[in-house]
Amino acid sequence: MKSGKKGLNIWLVMTFAILALFLLFVVYPIGLILYKSILMEDGTISFAYFTKFFSKKFYWSTLVNSFKVTIASTLVSAVLGLIMAYVLRSIKIRGSKYLNILIVISYLSPPFIGAYAWVQLLGRNGFITRILNSLFNAKLGGIYGFAGIVLVFSLQSFPLVYMYVSGALKNLDNSLNEAAESLGCSVFQRVRSIIVPLVTPTLLASSLLVFMRVFSDFGTPMLIGEGYKTFPVLLYSQFMGEVSTDDHYAAALCVIVIGITLILFFLQRFIGNRLTYSMSALKPMEAQKATGMRNILAHAFVYLVVLVAVLPQLTVISTSFMETKGASYTGQFTLQNYKNILMPKNISTISNTYLFGLAAILLVVVLGVLISYLTVRKRSFLTSILDTLTMFPYIIPGSVLGISFLYAFNKNPLLLSGTAIIIIISLCIRRMPYTIRSSTAIIGQISPSIEEAAISLGSTEMKSFIKITVPMMMAGVLSGAIMSWITLISELSSSIILYTSKTQTLTVAIYAEVIRSNFGNAAAYSTILTITSIISLLLFFKVSGNNDISV
Amino acid sequence: MSVAINIENVVKRFGKDTVINGLSLDIKPGEFFTLLGPSGCGKTTLLRMIIGFNSIEGGQIKVDGKVINNIPTNKRNMGMVFQNYAIFPHMSVKDNIAFGLKNRKVPKNEIESRVDEILKVVKIDHLKNRMPQKLSGGQQQRIALARAIVIHPEVLLMDEPLSNLDAKLRTEMRNAIKQIQQQVGITTVYVTHDQEEALAVSDRIAVMNGGVIQQIDTPKNIYQRPANTFVSTFIGLSNIVKGVLENNEKGKAWVKIGNYRFQMNNIKKDCGANCPVKVSIRPEEFIINRETEEGIPVVVKSSVFLGVATHYFVETKEGQEMEVIQNSDLDELIPNGTKIHLKVQVQKVNVFSEDGNRTFIDRGVRS
Repeated sequence: MKSGKKGLNIWLVMTFAILALFLLFVVYPIGLILYKSILMEDGTISFAYFTKFFSKKFYWSTLVNSFKVTIASTLVSAVLGLIMAYVLRSIKIRGSKYLNILIVISYLSPPFIGAYAWVQLLGRNGFITRILNSLFNAKLGGIYGFAGIVLVFSLQSFPLVYMYVSGALKNLDNSLNEAAESLGCSVFQRVRSIIVPLVTPTLLASSLLVFMRVFSDFGTPMLIGEGYKTFPVLLYSQFMGEVSTDDHYAAALCVIVIGITLILFFLQRFIGNRLTYSMSALKPMEAQKATGMRNILAHAFVYLVVLVAVLPQLTVISTSFMETKGASYTGQFTLQNYKNILMPKNISTISNTYLFGLAAILLVVVLGVLISYLTVRKRSFLTSILDTLTMFPYIIPGSVLGISFLYAFNKNPLLLSGTAIIIIISLCIRRMPYTIRSSTAIIGQISPSIEEAAISLGSTEMKSFIKITVPMMMAGVLSGAIMSWITLISELSSSIILYTSKTQTLTVAIYAEVIRSNFGNAAAYSTILTITSIISLLLFFKVSGNNDISV
Repeated sequence: MSVAINIENVVKRFGKDTVINGLSLDIKPGEFFTLLGPSGCGKTTLLRMIIGFNSIEGGQIKVDGKVINNIPTNKRNMGMVFQNYAIFPHMSVKDNIAFGLKNRKVPKNEIESRVDEILKVVKIDHLKNRMPQKLSGGQQQRIALARAIVIHPEVLLMDEPLSNLDAKLRTEMRNAIKQIQQQVGITTVYVTHDQEEALAVSDRIAVMNGGVIQQIDTPKNIYQRPANTFVSTFIGLSNIVKGVLENNEKGKAWVKIGNYRFQMNNIKKDCGANCPVKVSIRPEEFIINRETEEGIPVVVKSSVFLGVATHYFVETKEGQEMEVIQNSDLDELIPNGTKIHLKVQVQKVNVFSEDGNRTFIDRGVRS
């Protein structure tokens, strides 16, 4: 078996190479953070930074605030997402295909754009606030702080729950519904005792994603939180702050975040595993035409939710064509904003976004397919380590990853900070767990005997992987890659920490323009981002041939 | 106790497609009634109209004399067993079975005793507290059956309940189903495409094709006296041979297949002399004749020895292929290529009109 042994060696070499990459770009930076968090300036080891955090209300109250907004937004998202998914799966809604696209788009834009758009609408000087104030002669102060943050995060995140639960409902066999009905169950009882328990694992998994996203997002509380300071805001200001920066204290804060997400991750796994049932739908649920009041209510509810969810996008797109004077609008139509951002010779912001995104996607797809192949088909002690290691970035918030990268790669021989490479690698690592999971699912659906057939016909293992397995995976991988691409171009939390003026991307530019109150430019940049997302999404539908999205 | 089901002129449309157009049948109280037919014949559609998952576009369905067209499914008091069992995966065996009772607000101690009782009936009392995921198909099937009958429904409906089981378990479960149905005495409508299963369990069978009932009868009559060539070929195997009916007088008629003539005494009187017919002969109704020239001349093409019986595949001189089954005896198999003559067991064969839609057999006459 000479050829077999040689094939094994190639896989082994690859396993080692990938392991080395992950050790360098995941384990080393995170390890460094752990080390820094307990290393005092005088070189001794102590937990003083943690004591500092938990002993001062100024510090620990941000954590309490974070938990408050995160729990509230996760709950609202879960309920809203669940209801939307059930209604759209069980009742025929006109134009549901387009509604689906709108829901996805509202999810794909970065949360802080939602925050800034809602400030334009419901802020102190907001469009809707002014109408309400003049209508009722009131003096509404606008939506800021806790309520504002929860509003933005809930509307931003329910689509995630919606997409996951909608997928789970598709796998739910309708005969379970029918069995319950034949046993005397009404519609509401059925939802409560059959549907909800069965989608609970999915609901938990997607809620965890929402939780982690909301918990680690700093752009939104920064823009709409005003005095309401959350933990990521504290972290960001400790690290980037103009007054006092304390690397070691910031590292300790990072460790606290990682600890919390780690606990949540295992909690969700533990509960999820206990409640998961393998289901295969012989006959999936079919959306039925409703009549009368039920029909009207369902349509009104779905359309209202979708409208509110895409309202920020609509606001941004329409304000991008409005003339601005400082931070306020004159009400005149103009293309000046686009001229401002496109006319200078340097449009690197836009080209950077596309370039970094594409490079990261390419890396992610190649590595992701390889890793999932290794962990599924070449099971060994090493590949199972690889499996665990590659899931690690899943629980590391973007800002923490960004900070750890800056610590790790800011001096020779590993001087990467300020380069495009560091941004591409960070994007790549952030997206890796998702790509690996979807590729693993795709490989799981391909029977190993197909490869064995190729080998029995004289092909080498490597050749059968490249000529047989990879092409069979391509359609699934490609549609996954497009989804990754859309998420990557709207990434902010690690880019904002790693960028320099040369490596600025669209989201960073939008954020910077918003902070500088250049709303016109911000809106124009956002519109370009949104249009890119929409085109990519349409491409996704074309490639995947269906309307079901998993992120 | 048991109730009758009367289906009167029901119509089912899906969009513009009319799947069932004015179908009627009556199911007697306590009867084990089977809807049998090839896939797409409308049998499951009809079953789902009875339980209420499908709307009824015309006609009516009565249970115990009451029209149920507009009663929602969860108020119909019918139990249903699904093709894939539809066991709730997140509930224990006990909770699955108690589900319907809880919906009916049955007192707790009564639920307990009824669940225990039914668990014994379906013989899975040792699995009471298990989760269903790890149980075998047969066990899940028993849970589904228990769950459907524990609510004391007026009607029990089963939609291809055995099609997901392997062959051996299928035989075992169909005997169990039949036995439990007799024990409980509940009016049962059973859907299957498996004719052997239908023959084994049913009191009566309705054979359906293209949304139309071809024949309603006991398993024995369906097999031995099919109403048309569809039934005779769908249930078991039949060789359909062209023939002519000669001088039909006083119930005695000569049937002629090629040069082979035989007399039958159970032919209806309403068909004239010298009318072309289709003769339906089951493989086991042939008698191989190697001594004389009497019978249909055929050539043996191949043979299969299956222990109890031997199957011969033969061809007529017109090129029609037929199958003949003989009890295996100790003699050598007939070699391929041998010319033989086939006579028929006159009392058993069936004669149909030329289009195959009408039988000429008069069942009033005992032959």
